[in-house]
Amino acid sequence: MVRSRMTRPGPAIEVTGLRKTYPGGVEAVRGIDFTVQPGEVFGLLGPNGAGKSTTIGMLTTTIRPTGGTAKLAGYDVVREPLAARQVSSVVFQEAVVDRGLSGRAHLDMHARLWGVAPRAARDRSAEVIEAFGLGDVIDRQVHGYSGGQRRRLELARALVSQPQVLFLDEPTVGLDTRIRYELLDLIGGLCAGNDMTTLLTTHYLDEAERLCGRIAIVHAGAIVALETPMNLLASLGGEIAEIRVSGDPQPALFRLRRRGLAGEDAFAVGSTLTVPLHSRSSRSVVNELHAAEIATTSVATRKPTLDDVYLQLTGDSLTA
Amino acid sequence: MATIAASGHIAKRSTAAARTVSRGSALMTLAKRRFVLSARTPREILVPLLTPILFALVIAPALATMVHSTIGLDYKTFVAVGTVGLLVPLSCMFAGIGVIVDRDSGARRELLAAPVPRSLMVGGNFIVALTVSALQLSALIIAAIARGAKFHTSASGVGWFVAAAFVFAIASYGIAEVMANRIPRQEEYVGATPAIAILPWFLAGSLFPIHALPAWLAAVAKVLPLTHALAIMRYGLLDRRATGLHDIWGMSSATGEATLSLLVVAAWAVVLSSASVRVFATAAVR
Repeated sequence: MVRSRMTRPGPAIEVTGLRKTYPGGVEAVRGIDFTVQPGEVFGLLGPNGAGKSTTIGMLTTTIRPTGGTAKLAGYDVVREPLAARQVSSVVFQEAVVDRGLSGRAHLDMHARLWGVAPRAARDRSAEVIEAFGLGDVIDRQVHGYSGGQRRRLELARALVSQPQVLFLDEPTVGLDTRIRYELLDLIGGLCAGNDMTTLLTTHYLDEAERLCGRIAIVHAGAIVALETPMNLLASLGGEIAEIRVSGDPQPALFRLRRRGLAGEDAFAVGSTLTVPLHSRSSRSVVNELHAAEIATTSVATRKPTLDDVYLQLTGDSLTA
Repeated sequence: MATIAASGHIAKRSTAAARTVSRGSALMTLAKRRFVLSARTPREILVPLLTPILFALVIAPALATMVHSTIGLDYKTFVAVGTVGLLVPLSCMFAGIGVIVDRDSGARRELLAAPVPRSLMVGGNFIVALTVSALQLSALIIAAIARGAKFHTSASGVGWFVAAAFVFAIASYGIAEVMANRIPRQEEYVGATPAIAILPWFLAGSLFPIHALPAWLAAVAKVLPLTHALAIMRYGLLDRRATGLHDIWGMSSATGEATLSLLVVAAWAVVLSSASVRVFATAAVR
């Protein structure tokens, strides 16, 4: 028997003060807040260990929060876990398949567990099999699938139940470049013009920039910025100077700031000084460093990236 | 390798309204999954039947030839029923390996994200362990009859046998599920299997009545669910005088003793199955 349950109005995802401290005292998520509207593609961007997967785990009720609340389509993940799981699907970071089952068995099982009526399940399975290019392999056991095929199967499976909220936890990690770009095209196609809400975690900047309407940058279990990719990039202006110095860059940064040639948004990582130029010229910055007899090994100007935004906010590299 | 096709036609769909899945349907889906993973080929179905057939055709008759029974029962039949006490725990313990494989392969996470109560995941696995046990017991009894075992088959006797075997299987799978979720490595689990599945068999009156044991071991045997289950099963199919039950309870009413023993096995089943669901939920959701 399949009964319909009303979808509650409001945000698709509503997270308030969500917190997870693992036994032993490791604080993986330190009280985060965000809201995602229906149809929005929202990204959690951060390096490994930032707390992204733990957040997805709490939202999919596979990890128990130690504080705060989270709601999916109005359903509290702690108090109404079945309803919250009913409206969502997830593609986990690691492969989550039964290697001894066929691809079709995976789709059938998902449809049954999510209560999709048999006829609708058949139609929907046929659609996703075609859309994900799985027709040639769908009746084979999954242990014979390539990494890309397995990932496509997991995506197809997640969509069989037509979820209101789709979680994609590092969906392209571990895939070769060609398959990764093909998959990004596919995910981009899925997200466009759909009323499905997507929450994507990634540490790939291009993925976040390309797919997400808004991005939360996560660092050490906390959200340090939440904006559209465009606004995040705009915070560093249109151009930055990347200056490599010999030795400690801090004295150079101090000098540039004192002379008004670098603002508070300039930062140093390793021996590299990154200076958002805003209305300043790179030449004046270089001249000042020469005048101070600070040796530079290279100077370049370029457009800022999300990596710069992240470094400026946290001091850590995304690809660490 | 196939290239990913265009995805436009699935992109513009509305998401489905939320649904609720019936527990029965979800349970059957989970059991079907486990069954397909456990018994994909005829070989995987037939191999587990070799042990009961070997016991019924070879070991029980050989023991009956060597041992002169003083208990007034056909020893071949006595051992055939005693073999149930080995088959059920072994089937359940082997089913527990599937729990570890699900955990280690990551497949469990998809199930945990499904909108079904997590107790059903334990239930789905139990159904398959029960099915395999039932197949083995059927093979055992058919082979034993073929080899000359003498069962008394009244409706009530079969009822006692089935009830005892069923409740004992619940208790056995409860232990398997608890261990599978508590033990970190498959090798360690397999190493612990004999202690759980075979050791009690030697103490529970499987090959000889428990009154043949030293008094302190007989006292230990009376606590084991297997001792009670075997005594009930023999009462049902072999021994209408209920000597095994008298060894435990020392009462005059065989039916009363069988009822008490069934309650003991049922109590074990309730405790162990509750513990298994609790341990699974604790282990699966961090």
